[in-house]
Amino acid sequence: MTAIAPHNDQLLAVKKLRVHFFTGAGVVQAVDGVDFAVSPRETLGLVGESGSGKTISSLALLRLIPRPGKIIGGEIIFKHEDLIAKREEEMIKIRGKNIAMIFQNPAYSLNPIYSIGDQLGEILTWHEKLSRQAANERVAELLQLVGITDPFSRLRQFPHELSGGMKQRVCIARALLCSPPLVLADEPTTNLDVTIQAQILDLLQELKERFHMSMILVTHDMGVVARMADRITVMYAGRICETATARTIFENPRHPYTQALLATMPRVDHSYSDGKTRRLPVIPGRIPNLIEPPSGCRFHPRCPASDDECARILPELLSLEEGHWVSCIKAG
Amino acid sequence: MTAAEQPSTRKPPPKHHGTRRLGMWVLGWQRFRRNKTGLLGLVLVGIVFLVALFCPLLAPYDPNDQSAMLEFRSKAPPSWKNPLGTDRMGYDVASRVIYGAPTALVVGLGSMAVAAVIGIILGGFSGYIGGMADEFLMRFTEFFLVVPIFIVILVMVRIFGIVVVGTPLEEIPYLNLSTIILILGVFGWPPIARMARAEFLRLKEMEFVEAARCIGVGRAGIIFRHILPNALPSLIVIIALGIGGSILMEAMISFLGFGDPKAISWGQLLSFNYEFLKIAPWASIAPGMAIFLTVLGFNLLADGLTDAFNPRLKE
Amino acid sequence: MQDDLIRIEKMVKFYPVMRRGIFRSKQTGVIRAVDNVTFSIRRGETLGLVGESGCGKTTTARALLYLTAPTSGRAHFQGTDIIEVFERGAKEEILRIRRRLQYVFQDPYLSLNPRWSIAETVLEPFRVHRHLPENQWDDRLMELLELVGLEYYHAWRYPHEFSGGQRQRVGIARALAVEPRFLICDEPVSSLDVSVRAQILNLLIELQEKLGLTYLYISHDLSSVRFISDRVAVMYLGKIVEIAAVDELFARPLHHYTYALLTAIPIPEPDADRGHSVLKGEVPSAVNPPPGCRFHPRCEAALPQCREMPVELAPAGDEHLVACHNPR
Ligand SMILES: Nc1ncnc2c1ncn2[C@@H]1O[C@H](COP(=O)(O)OP(=O)(O)OP(=O)(O)O)[C@@H](O)[C@H]1O
Ligand SMILES: Nc1ncnc2c1ncn2[C@@H]1O[C@H](COP(=O)(O)OP(=O)(O)OP(=O)(O)O)[C@@H](O)[C@H]1O
Ligand code: SF4
Ligand SMILES: [Mg+2]
Ligand SMILES: [Mg+2]
Repeated sequence: MTAIAPHNDQLLAVKKLRVHFFTGAGVVQAVDGVDFAVSPRETLGLVGESGSGKTISSLALLRLIPRPGKIIGGEIIFKHEDLIAKREEEMIKIRGKNIAMIFQNPAYSLNPIYSIGDQLGEILTWHEKLSRQAANERVAELLQLVGITDPFSRLRQFPHELSGGMKQRVCIARALLCSPPLVLADEPTTNLDVTIQAQILDLLQELKERFHMSMILVTHDMGVVARMADRITVMYAGRICETATARTIFENPRHPYTQALLATMPRVDHSYSDGKTRRLPVIPGRIPNLIEPPSGCRFHPRCPASDDECARILPELLSLEEGHWVSCIKAG
Repeated sequence: MTAAEQPSTRKPPPKHHGTRRLGMWVLGWQRFRRNKTGLLGLVLVGIVFLVALFCPLLAPYDPNDQSAMLEFRSKAPPSWKNPLGTDRMGYDVASRVIYGAPTALVVGLGSMAVAAVIGIILGGFSGYIGGMADEFLMRFTEFFLVVPIFIVILVMVRIFGIVVVGTPLEEIPYLNLSTIILILGVFGWPPIARMARAEFLRLKEMEFVEAARCIGVGRAGIIFRHILPNALPSLIVIIALGIGGSILMEAMISFLGFGDPKAISWGQLLSFNYEFLKIAPWASIAPGMAIFLTVLGFNLLADGLTDAFNPRLKE
Repeated sequence: MQDDLIRIEKMVKFYPVMRRGIFRSKQTGVIRAVDNVTFSIRRGETLGLVGESGCGKTTTARALLYLTAPTSGRAHFQGTDIIEVFERGAKEEILRIRRRLQYVFQDPYLSLNPRWSIAETVLEPFRVHRHLPENQWDDRLMELLELVGLEYYHAWRYPHEFSGGQRQRVGIARALAVEPRFLICDEPVSSLDVSVRAQILNLLIELQEKLGLTYLYISHDLSSVRFISDRVAVMYLGKIVEIAAVDELFARPLHHYTYALLTAIPIPEPDADRGHSVLKGEVPSAVNPPPGCRFHPRCEAALPQCREMPVELAPAGDEHLVACHNPR
């Protein structure tokens, strides 16, 4: 049985995706057999620590893996078509129009030498074949929608004239220009302050509902996914640990890594000054090197529940109950 | 700490004085080794150095041996007797080219030593102190950068050559060559100063420098123990480029006939023989190739060093 | 107060805004990075300092240690005016103060000299202060490494051979080498992997218990602040707007900015109150901060006087200070 069978109502199904980087020091197995799926109008939270392969997995959907990386296996079924089999010219039509991306660092994802109006208008004239005038109007409309006041005068401004939060709003507007059914948001708020983050998250939530979009939200902040995601996929060292509804992940996590990750974070809504010795539960050790990942379960050297079997058997992503998938041989 | 990281045996205690200080260099060399063009540069430069060191052993003739002339074998093509032929004065081309190597290296290394001392002091001072001193020094550097140095050097070499006549200075051996080296150095420091300034500016804001200040390390300690060693890789790159540049510059000066008549230099060999290019091409091609390969070697070496030490290209 | 270890009084740090001309630069204004900040830190406690990016947290700490010269203001350490010492004191006196106040930096990748082995880095303070005879250095090095959870054999390695968490441990060991009383931790975990953060936070608490250290813990991550701090100071645009004991502050924020900050944090619980962010707009520039209460343009409870009358920290309940005309 495939781990996550593609239903007909799924917008996107990724199966056994593998992306490796062929570097001088060795082959980095950045994404190594990853399965996940997104239904229409759903937000999937993709969480995991730095280097777990979140960004590379989402870039793979657009076939934008940086060199020396290569997709070396798997399927990416988007609207019943396999994107891996597509030619580059076909992909160009999909990027931005069907799958749009919002990047982590708004400062770098806008071209500094073009005005906001030119950058965003160009996408419309290219994908939608709109006239300049019509494109400008549509851009202004979207800027208004993402909470930018006085949009017509902003069209003539350049990226450096905007604050970080403002730039991220522009990037969101750019992603929404062609009303794509799927938006990939890669840590859209990581570089922003918490109060701005809250504004941007509210905005994304509102726009998602208004445009009936699906969203993959990549983040390492469990608070952000708790707030935004319908379902959550937890990644560790290039593999999926657990996929379930947000509530299940938080209330009944079954993979030892998910459990440890949730326990190890200090909580704002929790008092620590009750006199007892203050200690956080820790995950010992550190993230493995993906050139020589640990044998068997990637998490076994750090896992409190591991035994010899874990070092030998590479656990498959299996269904524990309806909609709850775990890759741990001890979780069954 | 994971169990895997535990060493099987304990090493002897560390020595804090004179511990191996090579972390960055070892790492750089590992990256350098993977760089083919950089290695090629190193080999070329290495050959030039060896040739320069062992020229009396390698050269088949004395560089001033004109005996071929007496045998009517001037402008002779390469043969067993004269591997690269002879030139119009009956000199053995191979020997002359081999004896040109030490001159080239002395010019390159000497002028860049002068330039490095000036450049690092001015640039480092500028970057570390900042403020008005920095403004002034940078304007000064820009002035040197826009001056057409080559012409200035020609003029100065010539004037110096005239002024010196009849003074005791004339007795100094290779006076003309030393002047050229000095002038190349005095005009060659601006790129080094710029690099030193940029590195000092970058490094003095780094947190490890701040950490040292926090501990109470004094100004000299910060400059000489923390900043300078970390600036060295970039400076070495630009100095290596400068060595190639100086060698080329000296060749051009000599080619135009402004060089030191007493020194054997590749540019001079060219200038000496280019009129007979059609009759005895070997006499021009050999020094030309020597210049080309040496300059290329230094440039490739600099290129390889950039790759090896530029942290942005790490992974 | 008697048991204040550190007291910062009316600390001000302005940075000039320069425009580069053809011949010389011209000053066109000032960034009011830290503007009249007063607070104290008690012996043995951890004071959390929170606020959004650019509000002046790091500048406050750097001015306190004279890593940047404050524009004006005093800082006292056990009653000694340390700014005075740094400005005019003899070299030995400065070194004596430096020994007692140390700094742990945010980015463990930048805060270690890449050319030095761990032993050299951790032993540098010994070379500078010479507070131990040289034949004891090795023993002390071993103790320090053990204290921060590193192994003795790590001493020969170079920073690039370590993970972020291990490097941060080295940074802490270096700070502890001079036997400080007071440690500034400037976002010590924000550049670390999530699973490693807890290790370092636990280490900081352990060291505090063992060595009786006092911390100034700077962060914009309120959850780690809640975990580690005894009291918390909230900063906005170069001013402290509220100081209170940690639980008091999180339970009863009095300043409207503190409240907005707390509600903006997403709680890792799917059913947590998904309250909409209350704060509109963005942090204004520190070059021309708003007059009166600096928060008034974004404050929903602003009164007319908030627009003109500057406001200073004032007591509002048990050990709770707030700078607001109309506290919640
Ligand atoms: N250009 C590259 N060359 C070599 N390895 C790479 C490259 N880009 C990424 N990787 C490796 O791929 C793995 C996954 O990287 P990815 O960027 O997807 O992580 P991430 O989960 O997005 O982390 P973060 O939270 O830091 O953004 C990492 O281990 C990284 O080292
Ligand atoms: N060396 C400097 N020169 C000029 N301006 C500076 C300098 N250092 C800091 N500033 C300015 O001072 C203000 C406060 O900066 P500071 O670094 O103290 O903020 P912070 O609260 O530590 O922020 P973060 O959370 O981003 O670290 C900012 O507006 C910053 O731009
Ligand atoms: S498979 Fe074993 S090692 Fe992996 S998470 Fe489960 S219990 Fe731990
Ligand atoms: Mg990423
Ligand atoms: Mg800071």
